[in-house]
Amino acid sequence: MNCKRVREELIFLYDDNEMGQETLIAFQQHMVDCPECAQEVQYTRRLLTIVRQRATRCCAPSDLRQRLVERLRES
Amino acid sequence: MVVRSTSAPDSEPQMVPQANKAGWDFGDATLPFLDNLYNMALRLTRNSEDAEDLIQETYFKAYKYYDKFEEGTNLKAWLFRIMKNSFINGYRKKQNQPPESAFQAIEEVFEAQVSEDAGQIKNPEEEILEQVLDEDIQQALDALRDDYRMVILLVDLEGFSYKEAAEILEVPVGTVMSRLYRGRRMLEKVLLSYARSHGYMRGEEPRRYRSGKEDAAN
Repeated sequence: MNCKRVREELIFLYDDNEMGQETLIAFQQHMVDCPECAQEVQYTRRLLTIVRQRATRCCAPSDLRQRLVERLRES
Repeated sequence: MVVRSTSAPDSEPQMVPQANKAGWDFGDATLPFLDNLYNMALRLTRNSEDAEDLIQETYFKAYKYYDKFEEGTNLKAWLFRIMKNSFINGYRKKQNQPPESAFQAIEEVFEAQVSEDAGQIKNPEEEILEQVLDEDIQQALDALRDDYRMVILLVDLEGFSYKEAAEILEVPVGTVMSRLYRGRRMLEKVLLSYARSHGYMRGEEPRRYRSGKEDAAN
């Protein structure tokens, strides 16, 4: 496994838990062997955590929920 | 709760227990996803009025075609696919968006930077990222092209797998992966630029950048 493949192809797959078992083992070994890639993985994890945790999530307005139920009932 | 009444054309509508049950089932099954769908609708349309219309259209279509839904498959993903199609076929066409070409130049710059930066060590940026504000994330997401934004919303905010996102968007998994890569890298660029501007306004440049400047001055 080389650094280019790790950073351009695999890094997001790792964080998204989308990596196959065999690739995962090779990836984790590369993290031990290459501190620069390990640092890159840590950075990417931080980036994704910020987006996932801090992006605003809005609840549906209660009147929309009510309207939906009423209009579905009429249909 | 949703109640469906069925009746023969020449008789008064009445609540038939069996039909009632179908309506209740639909409501019970789909309304728990209303907040998720609304959140996505709001981010796609960028205004609450259109988001509400999009939600209503999604629910009516889902109700109409509920018998086509295969029990045991992913209902949330099915609802999101209906909404994606409604958005693409209706709202996006209606919205007065700048033509794609207007975004093209901006995107080309980002694309060039993204590919230039691939493989660089990001440690100083990790400090800069800490200065990102919540509203920066919203603004940066809103600035992304629809196809990049949709895949990020599905995977990062709704927690869909690549395979589920591919089914919702009706594209190959490889396309989901490449859109995620490009979309997230663009998002990263925008967030870093916002964060840097906050840092400069407060006069707090990240340590490693400051020392770099001192080195240059010496």
